[in-house]
Amino acid sequence: MKKLHVRSLAWLVSLCFALFAFQATAATASAANKVEKKPFAEAHVALQISDGNPFKQTLVLNVAHNLLKHYGPDKVDIEVVAFSKGLRLLFADNANQKRIDALAGAGVRFSACNNTLHHMTKLLGHKPKLNSHAVVVPAGIVRLLQLKQAGYTVVKP
Amino acid sequence: MKFGMRRVTQAVACAMGLLALGGTAQAANWLKLQGTERPSAVGRAHVWGFIQPEYQYTKDTKLPAGTPWAGTGAVFNQQRPDLSSNSSFNVLRARIGVRGTGFPLDDKVNYFVLAEFGNNGITKPSSAAAQLTDASITLNQIPHARIRIGEFKYPGSEEGLMAIHVFNYINFTNVTNQMLLERHFAATTGANPHPYGADSANEMNAPVGAFRDIGVQVFDWFDVGDWEHTYAVMVGNGNGINRTDNNNNKDLYLYWSSAKIFGGKGPRRQDWKTYAWYESGKRTIGVYSGSSLSEQTFDRKRYGIGTTFLKGRYRAAAEYMWGKGMIFNGTSGGAVPGTVATGGPGAGSSVAYFNVNPNEKAHGWYIDGGYKVLPNLELDLRYDQYNRNTKVSADEREFKTTTVGAQYFFNKKSRMLVNYEFRSADAPNLPDSANPNKVLDSIDNRLSAQLLIIF
Repeated sequence: MKKLHVRSLAWLVSLCFALFAFQATAATASAANKVEKKPFAEAHVALQISDGNPFKQTLVLNVAHNLLKHYGPDKVDIEVVAFSKGLRLLFADNANQKRIDALAGAGVRFSACNNTLHHMTKLLGHKPKLNSHAVVVPAGIVRLLQLKQAGYTVVKP
Repeated sequence: MKFGMRRVTQAVACAMGLLALGGTAQAANWLKLQGTERPSAVGRAHVWGFIQPEYQYTKDTKLPAGTPWAGTGAVFNQQRPDLSSNSSFNVLRARIGVRGTGFPLDDKVNYFVLAEFGNNGITKPSSAAAQLTDASITLNQIPHARIRIGEFKYPGSEEGLMAIHVFNYINFTNVTNQMLLERHFAATTGANPHPYGADSANEMNAPVGAFRDIGVQVFDWFDVGDWEHTYAVMVGNGNGINRTDNNNNKDLYLYWSSAKIFGGKGPRRQDWKTYAWYESGKRTIGVYSGSSLSEQTFDRKRYGIGTTFLKGRYRAAAEYMWGKGMIFNGTSGGAVPGTVATGGPGAGSSVAYFNVNPNEKAHGWYIDGGYKVLPNLELDLRYDQYNRNTKVSADEREFKTTTVGAQYFFNKKSRMLVNYEFRSADAPNLPDSANPNKVLDSIDNRLSAQLLIIF
C-alpha cells in the first residue's frame, strides 16, 4: 500500500513537471509569436533584413533611426526581423552592436529567425551567439506575415 | 643627441601650441583599418581603389658652374619617378584592391589585396605595368593576438603607415622620403651593364619599399574607457616588396599607440593619438672596394615618436625620427643618374648614380597643421627638417621644407590638393663656397597639384 502511494506520488510529480515544462515552452513560443503593439504608436513598421551585404545592415539601422526621429519613440512601433544572411546583424559581436543597443533602448524590437539559426549552426559547427536584444522567432518569414496581419507595414530597405 | 632632444621639445611644444589653438592632426588606428574587418559586417569581396593624377613643376635650375655636373639638370628639380623633366603630368598612383572574408558567416579570417598601376617608385624600377603592394591574411581567433601574414604596411611612422589616399599633402616630408622610404640597391659589374653606366654601383634593383614588408605581424587593440591602446610586433624579410629575402636576417618591428577617441570612425576618426615605433634589420648589398665587388651586410635601424590629433575643423601632427645605417644619399653631385660629368677629373667619363651610406646616421622631424575654413576647404601648413649623414660632419646635409597647401573636397570620396613647397638645403658644416653647398643652392621650390578619387 505504502509502495503504491510512493509510486503514485512519483508519477504525479513527474506529470506536474511535464505539464510545467510544456506550459513554459508554449508560453515562450507564444511570446515569440505574439505581436505586442505600442499603445500610442501611429505607425507600425516591420523592417526585413535578409541580405548578406554589410551595407544593408547599416541601411536597416539607419531606417529605424530615421523612423524614430520622424515620429518620436512613442509614436512608432518598429520590429527588425532578421533571417537568412541578414541574421549576422544580430550576432553578438556585430560591429553595429552599440547602434542596436541604442535602438533597443528606444523601443525597437529585434527578431532572429530560428530556422536560419539552425542552418548556421550546422554550417559553423556551433551555435552563433546572438545579441542580448534578439528574440528568437520560429521563422523570420512567418514573423513578417504575422506582423503584416497585425497591421504592420513590411519594408525591406 | 642634445640637438635632437631640443628639436623634439620644439616639435612637441609646437604641437601643443596648435592643440591649445584647437588645431590638430589626422588620426586613426591604421593597424585595425588595414588589417581587420568589422565583425559580422563584412562581405565576401569588397572592390575598392583610388586614382591620383597630378602635375608638378619646378623652375629647373641647373647644377652650378664649378661642380662636376655643371649645367645639367639637378635631380631634386626633376619630377619623380622618371627624373626626365622639371614639369610633368603623371598618374602617380592608380590602385585597385579587394578585401573581405572568404566565408562571411565566420569572418574571423579576412584578407586584403591591393595592386599598383600608377607610375611611381613601386612600378618604375622594374618597368612593371603593375605591382602587388599588399596581399595579406589576418587570423582573428586568438584573443589579444591577431595575426596578419603576407605583404602589407609594417607598423611604423604615421606618414608611412597611414592610408595614402587620406594623406594631406602630395609629397612626403624629406625625412620620410629619404630616410624611411627605402630604396633597394644592388651593385653591378661590367658583365651586367645597366643604364647608369657599366662601372657604377648602387643601381636600384627593386621597387621602393613603400613602407611595406613581407612577414608576420601580431597585433591587437584594447579599449579602456575613451582610450584605445594598440600594439604590434612584426618580423619580416626587410627586403622590399614582391621578392624573397636576400639574407638570413629578419627585420623586427615594434609599435605602440594610445589614442583618446573623441568620436567618429574610419580613417577620419576624431582622436588624439601618441605613438612610438622601432624597426631593426640588416641589409646585404654589393659594395665596391676599388674595382673589386663584394657582398656586405649592414645594420639598418629606424625609430621615432609622434602625435596626431583630429577634432572638428582642426588637425595637427608632429613626429621625430632617427635612423642608423643604410642612409640614402641621393645621387652623385646632385645630378640625374646616368648623366655624364661635364667638369672636374671625371669629365666625359664619370656617370652619376644613386648612392647609399651604409654606416651613416640621420634624424629628422616634422610638424603639420590643418584647418577647415569651409566644410569643403582645408588649409594646411607643414614644416619639416632632415639632417642626413650626421656621423661625419663634412658629409652632413640639412634639408628644410615649408609646405603650404589647400585641399578642396568635392565630396567625401574626391578632392583636389594644391601644394607649394619652399625648399632649401645646405651642408651646414662646410663653407658656402664648397661644392656641396653650391649644388644644394640650386634646389627649387616646387608647385604641385593633384586630383584624387576613391571608389
